Amino acid sequence: MAKELKPPKDPDEPDLLPAMGLFTILIPMLLSMTAFQKLAIVEITLPERSMMNMTNDAPPEPDQQALNLSLAITSDYLVIGARGGFQPNVYFKEMWTFRCKSDSKLITYSPEEVKAAVDAGHGPKCQDGKEMDKEKYLYEIESIELWALEKTSEEDPGRVIWAVYSSQGENVPDSAFVDGNNSFIAMTGEGPGGLKAPAALKKPNPGTPLATLTPNSARKLKPEDAQRNIIYPLSAYDLIAKDLIAIHTQFIDLEDVDNIIVVANDDTQFDKIISLMDRAKSAGFAKVNLAKLGGG
Amino acid sequence: MARKMRQYAKDVPFSLTSMMDMMTIILVFMIKNIDAEGQLVTQAENLVLPVSTSKIQPKEVSLTVIVDAGHVLVDNQKVITTEEVLASKDLCIPAVLSTLYERRKVEEEHALAAGLPADEAGQVVIQIDKNIPYDAMYKVMATCGFANVPNCDGSGTSLRQGYTNLSFAVMMKNGGEE
Repeated sequence: MAKELKPPKDPDEPDLLPAMGLFTILIPMLLSMTAFQKLAIVEITLPERSMMNMTNDAPPEPDQQALNLSLAITSDYLVIGARGGFQPNVYFKEMWTFRCKSDSKLITYSPEEVKAAVDAGHGPKCQDGKEMDKEKYLYEIESIELWALEKTSEEDPGRVIWAVYSSQGENVPDSAFVDGNNSFIAMTGEGPGGLKAPAALKKPNPGTPLATLTPNSARKLKPEDAQRNIIYPLSAYDLIAKDLIAIHTQFIDLEDVDNIIVVANDDTQFDKIISLMDRAKSAGFAKVNLAKLGGG
Repeated sequence: MARKMRQYAKDVPFSLTSMMDMMTIILVFMIKNIDAEGQLVTQAENLVLPVSTSKIQPKEVSLTVIVDAGHVLVDNQKVITTEEVLASKDLCIPAVLSTLYERRKVEEEHALAAGLPADEAGQVVIQIDKNIPYDAMYKVMATCGFANVPNCDGSGTSLRQGYTNLSFAVMMKNGGEE
């Protein structure tokens, strides 16, 4: 007689309680060791004067063969100087991008617009219409941007230059693209002040050979990357970075080729100094000194 | 008539599987973000550090000077207001200098007692709010360099070295991700 087949028994569920106990111990321990915002340091060489004696000794004669490279920032422009001469000024329009606490979205204003709102007794407005705290709005600045301007004369207020950038999302620029001639894919903006992106400036198609300012970054644009690219105002930092890379490459044989002095006005924000130091270090200038504009 | 009690425990067995899934996801996320070396620099309150591409980590614990919108703090002790620093005509800030000098003196004494070289440059990590003007930052940096003497005019017992090994604390760009 054929054996009657028994229906299969439901398998027993594994006892997960010990594993849960382990997880409950592991998670608080890891939580205490997790770094959500990682800090780093930027090493700096002391200001020129503090390295000197406090007496009024005459400064040493400058070395005529040295590069003596300096990078100055004022409220309107950046300029590279070397051996007593200066490159053309890179004019910029300062813009503050805020991340609002109320809607967690980004919004960009010029310092003049912010000042006008604060003077009128309001904080800068967020995208959802709410106002930032007029006492603490500075803490909501996500980034201080310097939009490069094209000027025809000193009196010309200038027009914003727009360029193609890679982006990680949220319309935030990451790296500016350069073409085969090492020129930014850029164009002057339309409308008053060039604040409207030029219609003629198109995002490059997939397969276009492109590079960023990072060494060995030349590549053909992948379709998924092409979708993420954005048209955004060209940063004056990027313009300066490109020049610094060219200078470092050209004068690589000089003894002081790794030295640069960042010179700034008294009221320049610390964020701008760090951004310039970043660009200088990325270009190969390992030893960054700081000095004040107009001596000091 | 007494109500019949429902036997929840018998009808609906307690399943930990979904909880285990959640815990596994949290665990993986935390292992990804773990910093096994620990943080030698922790961000001070009341300030926003600038973002930088630097990935250099401090190698040892060192004195921290903080400059926020309100005050200059040395080792978390308020020393002077930032407004007073900005108003000062001189590069050297006497209140900050005397505090730094005392710290440096103690460091040198400890180094000598431990048989370590006492003539090495003092190390200091400066945390500055990203909106602080360059003037304040420059004066604090210069004062750190002068800290081998107790007075801004250079008088007093001189130590071997001031705080000439300076670094700025910054936030890593994209949280340190590539």
